[in-house]
Amino acid sequence: MTLDFNWLADPFYQLWLLRGLGTTVLMGLYGIVLMLVIGIAGALCLHFRIPVLDTVVTVLVELFRNTPPLVQLFFLYFMLSEIGLTLTDPVTGRSVPLFSGFTCVVLSLGLYNGAIAVEIIRSGLLAVPPQTVEGARSLGYTRLQTFRHVELPIGLRLSMPAMTNNVVSLIKTSSQAALVAVADIMYGATQIMLETFRNLEVMLLIWVIYIVIASLAVMAMRWIGQAFRIPGYGTQVS
Amino acid sequence: MNSELNAFLLGMVGVPLVLMGLIVAVYGGETGGILAVIASRTPMLLSGTNDFSSYSGGFAANIIISFWAMLLSLVFGCLLGIGMIAQNRPLRLFSSFVMNVLRNSPWLVVLYAMLYLLPFELRLFGATIYLSPLVKAVFGLALPVTANIAEVFRGGVEAIASGQWESARALGYRRLQILRHVVLPQALPLMTPNLMTTYAMLFIGTSLVVVTGTTDVLSVARTVIASDGEHVATGIYIYVLFLFFVFCFPIAILTRWLERYVRG
Repeated sequence: MTLDFNWLADPFYQLWLLRGLGTTVLMGLYGIVLMLVIGIAGALCLHFRIPVLDTVVTVLVELFRNTPPLVQLFFLYFMLSEIGLTLTDPVTGRSVPLFSGFTCVVLSLGLYNGAIAVEIIRSGLLAVPPQTVEGARSLGYTRLQTFRHVELPIGLRLSMPAMTNNVVSLIKTSSQAALVAVADIMYGATQIMLETFRNLEVMLLIWVIYIVIASLAVMAMRWIGQAFRIPGYGTQVS
Repeated sequence: MNSELNAFLLGMVGVPLVLMGLIVAVYGGETGGILAVIASRTPMLLSGTNDFSSYSGGFAANIIISFWAMLLSLVFGCLLGIGMIAQNRPLRLFSSFVMNVLRNSPWLVVLYAMLYLLPFELRLFGATIYLSPLVKAVFGLALPVTANIAEVFRGGVEAIASGQWESARALGYRRLQILRHVVLPQALPLMTPNLMTTYAMLFIGTSLVVVTGTTDVLSVARTVIASDGEHVATGIYIYVLFLFFVFCFPIAILTRWLERYVRG
């Protein structure tokens, strides 16, 4: 079995791969932001035991954590087109769906990994020493101020290792976008495979690219954890 | 058991309510018709046949694939885990490298790569073995999970106090013997919750085998949608979500309970 990477010299294929790479990275970044927003909002609801919201958040977290992200993606994709949210394109006059495939993928990534992030941040908040919280309370901080200035900063730092895993999982999950025809790197790869029949070589290249992206993300997270570490406190990052 | 029981009841009641609410919200007045379609297609989605005559497709296929993949990755994962705690430095570094590569690679890509990497047929001792898409899917899923299991294995073994190793060493056991007779029996209970989490993750991952052409629940769902019209797509996917939830959620709750039981 010989591996033939001649197709890589074709500038057209390089362009596909680079564009796809850009889409994948963009999707990952948006997904991470949405994931953090959902995670913090959900953890806040659970932490303060807001009467109805905390039950709703618990149920939704269980739903999203225990079902496949792929099915969630398909479901979002079809539901959003079924309820027919469309815009009229002012240029062509045709009606286009309000939520493109890209938006659906970002939403589904944000929801799936956000549900995991809720649990991660919540356990980070639980690990904040009660003395610190009591100290802040006795200094006259309100509960919300304590959360904003004391619990959340420390809790987020404590949840860094688990969050790194979650970010990597988000990047890995984003490869599913190709299945709803979003032109990410996986989609570019399937197109190249259809044209060149170099299935194995293309997939090996994509495999390496994903590993590099994921490793870069791990390094970035480690750097962030290092930069925000409170000296002499919390888990030592090796 | 009490807090887990509450969480279980809440999830088992709340999630179906949410899903039902979604169906009603999307379909409005047609909800009855959609539910009838889902009910009539249930045998198809569960077993791949119209009358439960065989269990080789649909949701049953997902369960079978997850079972075999778990078995394979348990074997490979333990081997890789032993490699990661070996005293031989090159072997240890190599095992850690393999583990990191497998852990950082997307399941979908590994699945595709296995689809093309594994031959269509295999000649072994004169016998020809045909590798069906199902077998390839099992291998493709087992690889990334191997990394998770190796990590669980290493974590479990390292949680055992080093005094255990030293005293067994003093009694004249060899390293593998210590692992087998002293450390693993103590580490296994600690590892069990994590192994169950890994299995739940693997089961969720089996939804990806739709790309290999196996008749799993998602490809059956796609066939149903193709024959009954795009209109039912949302309902069918909500139902598939429900199926996965019903299988995975009890495992998650049991894991939580076991974790508390083991730690406490």
